[in-house]
Amino acid sequence: MRALVVDDSRTMRRIVAATLQDLGFEIAEAENGAAALALLESGLTFDLACVDWNMPQMDGLEFVSQVRTGNRWRAITLMMVTTESEQEQIVRALAAGAHEYLIKPFSPDALRDKLQLLGLLPAVAGGVA
Amino acid sequence: MDAPVAEGEVLAIAAQIFAALVDGEEGRLVPWPAPQPEPEHDVAAWVDVAGPWAGRASLETSSDAAADLARALLGLAPGAPVPDDEVADALGELANVLGGNVKALLPHYGALGLPRVAGALPGDDEGRAVRRVPLAWHGHSLVLTVWERSPLAGAADGGEVR
Amino acid sequence: MRPDTFAYVADLVRRRSAIRVEPGKEYLVESRLGPLARAHGLDLDDYVQRLRQGATEGELTGVVEAMTINETSWFRDVGPFAALRPHVLPLLRGAGLGDRLRVWSAACSTGQEPYSILMALADEPAVPVDVLATDLNEQVLDRARSGEYSQLEVNRGLPAPALVRYFERAGAQWRVKAELRSRVQFRRHNLLDPAPGGPFDLVFCRNVLIYFDVATKRAVLDRIARVLRPGGLLVLGAAETTLGVHEGFERVEAGALVLHRPVAGGSTAGPATAAGPASAAGPASAPLNAPTPRGVPAPLGAPTPRGVPVPLGSPFAVASPAPLPVVSAFGTSRPAAAAALPAPRTTARTTPPATAPSQRGQS
Repeated sequence: MRALVVDDSRTMRRIVAATLQDLGFEIAEAENGAAALALLESGLTFDLACVDWNMPQMDGLEFVSQVRTGNRWRAITLMMVTTESEQEQIVRALAAGAHEYLIKPFSPDALRDKLQLLGLLPAVAGGVA
Repeated sequence: MDAPVAEGEVLAIAAQIFAALVDGEEGRLVPWPAPQPEPEHDVAAWVDVAGPWAGRASLETSSDAAADLARALLGLAPGAPVPDDEVADALGELANVLGGNVKALLPHYGALGLPRVAGALPGDDEGRAVRRVPLAWHGHSLVLTVWERSPLAGAADGGEVR
Repeated sequence: MRPDTFAYVADLVRRRSAIRVEPGKEYLVESRLGPLARAHGLDLDDYVQRLRQGATEGELTGVVEAMTINETSWFRDVGPFAALRPHVLPLLRGAGLGDRLRVWSAACSTGQEPYSILMALADEPAVPVDVLATDLNEQVLDRARSGEYSQLEVNRGLPAPALVRYFERAGAQWRVKAELRSRVQFRRHNLLDPAPGGPFDLVFCRNVLIYFDVATKRAVLDRIARVLRPGGLLVLGAAETTLGVHEGFERVEAGALVLHRPVAGGSTAGPATAAGPASAAGPASAPLNAPTPRGVPAPLGAPTPRGVPVPLGSPFAVASPAPLPVVSAFGTSRPAAAAALPAPRTTARTTPPATAPSQRGQS
């Protein structure tokens, strides 16, 4: 499975990517919504996009709106990963079409829990040592 | 009305940021032991908040501490080389998460600016420090400050740095 | 700590959870596993060596649990909660559900489970739900009663639509809304004592029996069986079963979920156990005051919603972005439909401005 990690902070991209990679995702990164959209338009497909809100060029809310307005990328699960934590911000994001919302700071377990909610975890992994 | 955010709230936010992203557990970020003088800080990261309340959330520390923070966030071994721009990015992101959580405590929505990192705070546009929280992290000094540039309508004038 | 000890622990934890324990975090392993090793009378290196020579599933789970951040998850394992409306309620109705659904959340800890049960059933119009939630520890019960959780805690498995619908901010915390809090009664209770009240239609007793020895497990299951009404159902943890423990229960399938139901005509299993808690305590490995488990991670093999047909309007339908029109959780049919979302705050708020683009700069 493939995930697109969109955040203008390289640090945060690495943190999110590390957990996703451990869960079996291949990762592509983009540093803002415009760059992320360009990746989609180039034909790359993704199962998941983790999207920051506040970014230059195009913010995460706009990116989510763009993805959900067209019919082209219906299979992408969109999760916002952001420090915006006011109730109405979460409502706005869900209204724009985000499927899930993870507030920073988050632990790797929290990200994993969200993926389980979304049905994106691999069926079985690990085993008895 | 005094500062829009309580000291306990800033502490709680910081503790959760460090527990989740930096240390993997709580308890590594503690109040700075008061009588001990704080060392010089040579790096600062901050984000501005714009809205009915205008202010800034900042983080000041030493460059050694900043490098250790970056290593902890990035999962690098202690002492591993970490480029300056990555340290700056890491510190900026900490300020971003701090600022975002502080602003959520305000009664009115505030827009978060993008984080900035420099050797020191600019010093001419912060406004008034309404919360100053000196902390210790693995022996390093780390000071979190909430600055107020324009208080909420009806807030009392004056007030001290705590 | 030897390097291979650290490597083993890091690898184990990484395979079974999303936690990376990187070089530099040796102190975490020491502080989290040290006590566990010492409880076995070993130092950390020797303890890990013993594990490597042959560890039970429970021991490995214990190691991973000790290493993870201990927030209890909401909707833990997802499956049991997703199945409540479409599969479990029909089963209960088939056995003659009364005018109220009575649920017991045994070992409720800080309250995520009972509140999750209520959220999962919130859109079920026909049946009011009463939840009795019990735990041994009065401190965690106080926390549960307050309904207040930190940002880190609400991030754990709580669907975002549920967060905005059923919670409100309380300073730096989030608090369960009063309409939900009022439906749960929290009470201190020791599982080894006779069950509190009843009869119940549904009992949740998840991931707590694993801490008891077999005799104690049986005693607890006996007590549960006695307060389940005919046709009532028991929900255990994802990897738990009564098989081989208590013969008085039978397996029941509800969708992809496995439940347990007291066998009609009731039988208690195994050797008669004396009623009092003192004698039910069994050997030292089953302490009377069993610790309330928190944050035990679900094994990665736990059922996920994928592949489980999920009805529209379910809290979990939002999971599928594929051909179905996206259904927002909890009753709205389009993400933009604001009707089912919480009423706006009464305090004046400015409309959040569009984020002005500016460079992320470093000066």
